[in-house]
Amino acid sequence: MSNVGIGFRKDFAEEFRNGSVLKPAFLEVAPENWMGIGGYWKKVFKSVAEQYDVYSHGLSLSLGGPDELDWDFLKKLKSFLKEYNIKIYSEHLSFAKCDNAHLYDLLPVPFRWDAVHHIAQRIKAVQDFLEQKIAVEIVSYYTPVAAEMSEVDFINAVVKEADCNLLLDVNNIYVNAFNHQYDAKQFLHHLNLDNVEYIHMAGHEKVAEDLIIDTHGEEIIEPVYELFDYTLGLLPKPIPVLLERDFNIPELAELQHELTRLENICSRYWRNTYATA
Amino acid sequence: MLLLNDTYRQQSNFAAYCRTGIYSPMTGVNEERLAHYPRLVFNVIDDTLRSAYPLTVDLLTEEEWDTTVRSFFATHKCSTYSVWKMPYEFYQFVLTLDNSLTEKYPFLEELLLFEWTEIEIHMMEDEQFPEVVSEGEMATDTPVLNPEYTILQLHYPVHLKNPNEIADTDKGEYFVLLFREQESGNVQFLDLSFYFVWLLRKMEHEQKSLFELAEEASDLFGVEQRFLLEKSLPFLTELRNKNFIIGYKK
Repeated sequence: MSNVGIGFRKDFAEEFRNGSVLKPAFLEVAPENWMGIGGYWKKVFKSVAEQYDVYSHGLSLSLGGPDELDWDFLKKLKSFLKEYNIKIYSEHLSFAKCDNAHLYDLLPVPFRWDAVHHIAQRIKAVQDFLEQKIAVEIVSYYTPVAAEMSEVDFINAVVKEADCNLLLDVNNIYVNAFNHQYDAKQFLHHLNLDNVEYIHMAGHEKVAEDLIIDTHGEEIIEPVYELFDYTLGLLPKPIPVLLERDFNIPELAELQHELTRLENICSRYWRNTYATA
Repeated sequence: MLLLNDTYRQQSNFAAYCRTGIYSPMTGVNEERLAHYPRLVFNVIDDTLRSAYPLTVDLLTEEEWDTTVRSFFATHKCSTYSVWKMPYEFYQFVLTLDNSLTEKYPFLEELLLFEWTEIEIHMMEDEQFPEVVSEGEMATDTPVLNPEYTILQLHYPVHLKNPNEIADTDKGEYFVLLFREQESGNVQFLDLSFYFVWLLRKMEHEQKSLFELAEEASDLFGVEQRFLLEKSLPFLTELRNKNFIIGYKK
């Protein structure tokens, strides 16, 4: 693999120490699950970090939330990124904490100008503190909340004002386009793709005729592969691509099949040019 | 903060709805779809707690478990950013309960504590292991303990019996040692008598040999030193075999 990595999970951690089925280009971890631990899992993590490039994808920072940023977390995060030489740190364009309570899920932010300024200011503060740009992910959502502008205008405005990178979750774009009845390709054309640093790919679950839930628990479906293919044609340069699979873990050969398929699509666009973080 | 009051209010209402299921007005939402959020958010909480507390899940009825978890998430503000640490907050929440559940299961708090402590010891940051010599004389040299351990003092034998079989007549004084094996990272636990707790604490803090401590214990407890030595040696040898005693002081 040259471009395509996989989310590192305890479910198949042993594969990266002793197995030979999965051959990702890199691994991605949620820092909240691997910071400040010891014992068996620290040994495992150290061991895989010596073998693979590791990228990090945060869950708790709540960039879109009203609560103060957690500076204690950010200090520990900075040490963690340095200790394991982690070059990419990404987070979500959502909120996960409100009124001093973590919710451990990604809630949609109101698409409003005051939210743009609020989030951009927070992203800039995080970037200044970490001394690196971060990438923000377009999240899936099932209903808008108090929206006063379009989703794409909101995302473009945040990325521009914060001068940050964008994490393009192609599955989320597909899910949102389906759920909110817009054209995913048109959305991509309106999105400013200059700052796209990273791509996520995943499966989802259709729970009603008009609703998809973003589960990361199924294989990627054909239309999402097609949208991925289309997306690569719009991007100016090779970037890392991640396969996310958080539960309902299949045989590892099936995951490798998905990695290979993604890699084959990448190589059609990026022949002999590899993604770098 | 650049967020307007109304935007904050919308987010606060959304978050509160996810935690409690109680709806307060939000602008422009699809209420049917909004209803998926409390379910999805609660599933994360419930799954995490079920993984952390399998014995407790087995003990409580489904209704008791569900009511307690829902009450926890609705009324407690989870403060940890690491979801795997959130079960400790659930334990703390149960400590604050004064209801029929803790009356029905008087050992519930200790069961939760025991289950959480296994996780905590398994995941705790690495301690510096002191340098030791591996060969020594158990009675006269100074044993060195694995620093990654804790001892719980309990009133019910949640570490010894199936929780479904614990009765009021089991109430007493129990001590359990939990430690993390250095090589494998596995957590082991061992039932201790009060005397062995005293002995291990002394060994750690005063770095004395069994022979010296048995002499002190003889005076303290009014038991013959020879008897204490005979009783302690097999126990300490077992701890050496289990690598809780990692060696002897240099």
